[in-house]
Amino acid sequence: MAGVSVAAEWQLLYNRYYRKPELYQMQWKQVDLTRNKIACAPFGGPIAVIRDDAKIVQLYAESALRKLRIFTSSGRLISETVWKNPGGRLIGLSWTDDLTLVCITQDGTVYSYNIHAELVGTFSLGKECFDNSVVECVFWGNGVVCINEAFEIFAVPDFKIPKTVKLADCNLEELPHCMAVIEPQYTKSGDVEVLLGVGDHVLLVEEDGVQHLAEGIGPLQKMVVSRKGEFVASFTHDGRLLVMSTDFADVIIDYACESALPPDQLAWCGLDSVLLYWDDMLLMVGPYGDPVRYIYDEPIILIPECDGVRILSNTSMEFLHRVPDSTVSIFQIGSTLPAALLYDALEHFDRRSAKADENLRLIRSSLPEAVEACIDAAGYEFDISQQRTLLRAASYGQTFSSHVQRDSIQEMCKTLRVLNAVRHVDIGIPLSIQQYKLLTPSVLINRLINAHKHLLALRISEYLAMNQEVVLMHWTCTKISASAVIPDVSLLEILLDKLKICKGISYAAVAAHADKSGRRKLAAMLVEHEPRSAKQIPLLLSIGEEDTALMKATESGDTDLVYLVLFHIWHKRAPLEFFGTIQARPLARDLFITYAGCYKHEFLKDFFLSTGQLQDVAFLLWKESWELAKNPMASKGSPLHGPRIKLIEKTHNLFAETKEHIFESKAAEEHAKLLRIQHELEVTTKQAIFVDSSISDTIRTCIVLGNHRAANRVKTEFKVSEKRWYWLKVFALATIRDWDALEKFSKEKRPPIGYRPFVEACVDAGEKDEALKYIPKLADPRERAEAYAKIGMAKEAADAASQTKDGELLGRLKLTFAQNAAASSIFDTLRDRHDMYF
Amino acid sequence: MSQIPNLEHAPINLTAIRARAQAELGTILKNLILVAHLNTKHGAELRHLTAEPIQTERTKVVYLVRAQLELMKFICSHIHNDTSKGLHREYYLYFVPRRVVACEKILEEEKVHELLNIGEFHLYMIPMDEDILSFELDLAQKEYLVDGDATSLWHIAKGIHNLEFSFGVIPNVRAKGKAATRVADILNRMQAEEPVNNSSDRRHGRVRLLNCLWAVLGGHGHSNVFAVDIRGIARRGSMQFLGVNNGAVELDASIMGAQQEGKKMKVPLNSSDKLFKEIRDLNFEIVVQVLRQKATSMKQDYTDISTTSQTVSELKDFVKKLNSLPEMTRHINLAQHLSTFTSKPSFLGKLDMEQTLLEAQSYDMRELLHSYGFEHIATLNNLEKAGLFRKQDSKSNWLTIKRALQLLVEDTDTTKWRELKWPLVLYLAWSYYYGEGILVDIGIQDSVAKRPIEEILRLLPGPHSETKRGGFSSIPSYDTLPGSLNSLEKPADGRRALVLVVFIGGVTFAEISALRFLSSQEGMAYDLIVGTTKIVNGQTLVETFVDRLG
Repeated sequence: MAGVSVAAEWQLLYNRYYRKPELYQMQWKQVDLTRNKIACAPFGGPIAVIRDDAKIVQLYAESALRKLRIFTSSGRLISETVWKNPGGRLIGLSWTDDLTLVCITQDGTVYSYNIHAELVGTFSLGKECFDNSVVECVFWGNGVVCINEAFEIFAVPDFKIPKTVKLADCNLEELPHCMAVIEPQYTKSGDVEVLLGVGDHVLLVEEDGVQHLAEGIGPLQKMVVSRKGEFVASFTHDGRLLVMSTDFADVIIDYACESALPPDQLAWCGLDSVLLYWDDMLLMVGPYGDPVRYIYDEPIILIPECDGVRILSNTSMEFLHRVPDSTVSIFQIGSTLPAALLYDALEHFDRRSAKADENLRLIRSSLPEAVEACIDAAGYEFDISQQRTLLRAASYGQTFSSHVQRDSIQEMCKTLRVLNAVRHVDIGIPLSIQQYKLLTPSVLINRLINAHKHLLALRISEYLAMNQEVVLMHWTCTKISASAVIPDVSLLEILLDKLKICKGISYAAVAAHADKSGRRKLAAMLVEHEPRSAKQIPLLLSIGEEDTALMKATESGDTDLVYLVLFHIWHKRAPLEFFGTIQARPLARDLFITYAGCYKHEFLKDFFLSTGQLQDVAFLLWKESWELAKNPMASKGSPLHGPRIKLIEKTHNLFAETKEHIFESKAAEEHAKLLRIQHELEVTTKQAIFVDSSISDTIRTCIVLGNHRAANRVKTEFKVSEKRWYWLKVFALATIRDWDALEKFSKEKRPPIGYRPFVEACVDAGEKDEALKYIPKLADPRERAEAYAKIGMAKEAADAASQTKDGELLGRLKLTFAQNAAASSIFDTLRDRHDMYF
Repeated sequence: MSQIPNLEHAPINLTAIRARAQAELGTILKNLILVAHLNTKHGAELRHLTAEPIQTERTKVVYLVRAQLELMKFICSHIHNDTSKGLHREYYLYFVPRRVVACEKILEEEKVHELLNIGEFHLYMIPMDEDILSFELDLAQKEYLVDGDATSLWHIAKGIHNLEFSFGVIPNVRAKGKAATRVADILNRMQAEEPVNNSSDRRHGRVRLLNCLWAVLGGHGHSNVFAVDIRGIARRGSMQFLGVNNGAVELDASIMGAQQEGKKMKVPLNSSDKLFKEIRDLNFEIVVQVLRQKATSMKQDYTDISTTSQTVSELKDFVKKLNSLPEMTRHINLAQHLSTFTSKPSFLGKLDMEQTLLEAQSYDMRELLHSYGFEHIATLNNLEKAGLFRKQDSKSNWLTIKRALQLLVEDTDTTKWRELKWPLVLYLAWSYYYGEGILVDIGIQDSVAKRPIEEILRLLPGPHSETKRGGFSSIPSYDTLPGSLNSLEKPADGRRALVLVVFIGGVTFAEISALRFLSSQEGMAYDLIVGTTKIVNGQTLVETFVDRLG
């Protein structure tokens, strides 16, 4: 049967098969795991190696100074640096989720390195750790728990926030036998929980309390918590492996080992089994059945992954994991499941054997599942030719079946292409398909970018139809940082050539980076290419290109941006220089005037003075004169309204400076004169009702008060036209119902406005008799007719109307008298007569 | 009847715009766990922002303001007043439609910025009726012409650009006038900066594309066209006298026949009132006639019902007719109220004045100052800057335009539609683009129609621009179609194409009537939507220019 050789490499643990294909022959030379402290990142991440200063080792041809070296999972050196940090012994090092290498020294200093072995930050765990050295630490995803010589326990819940939390005091008298951590995201409280093997029990330590668990379980030598914190695997003093739930209530595995010596390493292999490693033996224990033994003649390190364990030795990297069901169904020795038959059929087909058809006939009904199984199994393969064969088998089966998800082969091909690309020994990220799905493509791309594998990242994001902006942006920034010697113009060309790939990329962000890297000129050139003004302009300001910013803001038409630039320049430059800048730009200038007119009055005056816009200063002063009037404090004291009038006179003079403002100048002059007269009037009449009324109103008020002399004076002072004078006086007299005076006024001379206003004033006041005095004097019979109609004199109205010989007028008047039958009839007769005329 | 206009029959989905705004306002208010919805859903106190200190027990104050500098001063004084009294409130400031640096600067200088929680309410336009979108920029014309502040132009462009996000790229943009061409320019920039993805409208299959945008006028700086506006008001406007604002009028309750005297009540007037829809665009005299006819026919029905025996279905019909009764009463009340205006001498005086303006005469400014006080010098200055007023008489081509387009109609027969001469020259120019037939129908002289459109546009002040915009360039087949423009403008599904006409600086009811009339013509291949900074009349427009020094 097919694939006998494949299954030959599997080991059976109770009813499950395990396999450990080799992922890489390690590319490094002379790395001895025993001599070094090693930190391996999960998800096929990098490996950090540094000589262990806790061990006495023989130095070969090497420097006495230690080197921190970072390798890929395939053992390619990424970077190295000399470890010169003070702080005593290196207690622990580990990779965080975002691939920062965190190293903790004895004095409680935390050093963070990026993948390029560049120190990116340090912080201290605090005074207690400094005074009493750190003894041990346990890391998880993004945090650490450590214990010092005073047996105090500290936690850093998140390395992104360099803050240490002291956990509850548990009054220890000696170091615990072992320590394990349940990650905050899997605890009920949401804070980290620490398990300590103390005496014959376990302490669960939190920030605000200690619990005793598992009393009498006996001293635990080693403890390790499963990935999601559901279970804890522990090794007891009497050589038993105990797997329990984390509350220590249920025992799941209790396996007595041959040795009471605690293992060097204890690790979970997925969720299904636990690995124990002594000197040369790796023991895999499952819930049932006999454990599986592997013998190693060289030291190894277990790297737990979500779906298995990677085994790192000096020479190779292996991946120990459970054989997936689909793979078992195909390759299990003697399998006659449809998937195995399909795989077999392909082999026959390739050999041009008719048995291929026979196989297919056998499984016809279950062909779809067979195809699915082949696709699925292909996903788990690390060997490319095996992947290919399985996919070919799937594809072959698919041609005979109509019920298959057509795109699942395509999807799988896509995924595998990506996986194979990153698994390549040069890249060295040996992700399994499950790890890849958990990690997500975007995180993978970020990791590639971080490792400066930009081209691959770009290709992958393009291939997966993801946004390439992230990649390009990172590349550009890295390129700028790394190209200190390339002149601005050529670098710009290089950058633009790449940036154009991605539409809508933020040139402003790139420019900002260039500016931060001290390349202001390059930044200025880059920001030119940013189409979004809202992003471009703040940047132009930050690199000191105010004038360009102002120009761009004006062009954009967005006044908010213009204001932004305006305030910036205003703040930065001396007033005169500022005035000069905005004077040349009408929009900016107008906006400044609007703002300053509302809020910075005095400054606006300075501006107008500096630009010689005297008339505008005049307007401002004139405006001030009213504010002076509104503010009673200012007008009190010496001759009332004195300062106000002075201000207006100043206005008058300023207007007089330019020819175009003669009108305003005169108006100001008159205004001052008016205020003086009004002031005098208030003094003589002892009534404060004149100031700030108009000339017409002043005249009206004078007449109403009976002060005709004063009214006349205002009239002559301001050369009020006769027409207006008549209008004002007529209505003023009507207001005080001084009908005699009105009549007298009408007889002074022939009124220049005619008698109509007189009539209207009387009609409005409801004085029919008074109105009658003037109606006959109306020259136009039409006006006369309407006036009569208004006071209800139908007969007279009709008479007058008949003189006009206007049918339309007659009709309208008749409508007015519609209620009045008698009057109506008058109009009817008139109308008849009228009609006879025409 | 609801207070807000019914948008069901709008040519594009304006309800969506409203719903979005409502939702956003809702979130803003909900986030504050506070209070209010405009429908007083949550029971908040709504107040107009004034300089007066706020007197309220509440601990949270929400300001929903336009980004105007003056308003910031009010807010500052409120907060200063509260702090001086030792009151601690939470202040929320929402800018409509967006935060503005200049305003925040004032808040910073007054040291109240940290006390405020600042947000944005992205309301760029409000549907006023099923074919009217208003940007509610009352001061647009004044700000642009007098202060040189072009903020409103950006706002308009942004509003239109937002529309494009819902309805797709507008393929043709034409603009006349300085401000309008600038808006078109800004709109194109926005498209370049933040492109509208044309596939979006294809996704919601039923969304109609706006085929063309006409931004007109704005900053023409010419008194003449303005004068025509005023004329339009005088001749057409039955509604203007009531001061229809935001689709409703405020009237003395007594006018509506209510018992409480002196109380003001809001009467909604918009397309949701069928009768209003019918009469809103009519001349006042015609309104009275129409109402009379309606009333008579109803009375006739009533007599029928009392004299002859009726079948049940006939009765039903009658009751249906009765439904419109409250509307009838309301309009009759309104008509009565209106007649008190039209019979006043002042009304005739106003007509006289408008006539004077039309004949391009200028006033004696000195007289104005004498009558109204010197504090109006700034108003005059503003009006002059805006080109609505002239100190010295300068040459103008008004007479030429007037003659060319036959704008003044000497003999007005009020009973016919034909009386509707274009209150605004540009309609003519515009409609000419789309077919001479209409012009002839309406009775514009043939001589006018024969003049090339370019010539007429040249006669009018201000630049003219025309842009064909991308959006379709990605589909090559469109370009290869013969006469691609025409095929674009005439949708295949037989519906009429849609044209958005934007009036920068305001539009009068008269102008809207004219457009509606144009749109209702059978030969017309276009549905029209009017966009405007504000619905104005002569008075409200001039009011924005009033700047009393005192």
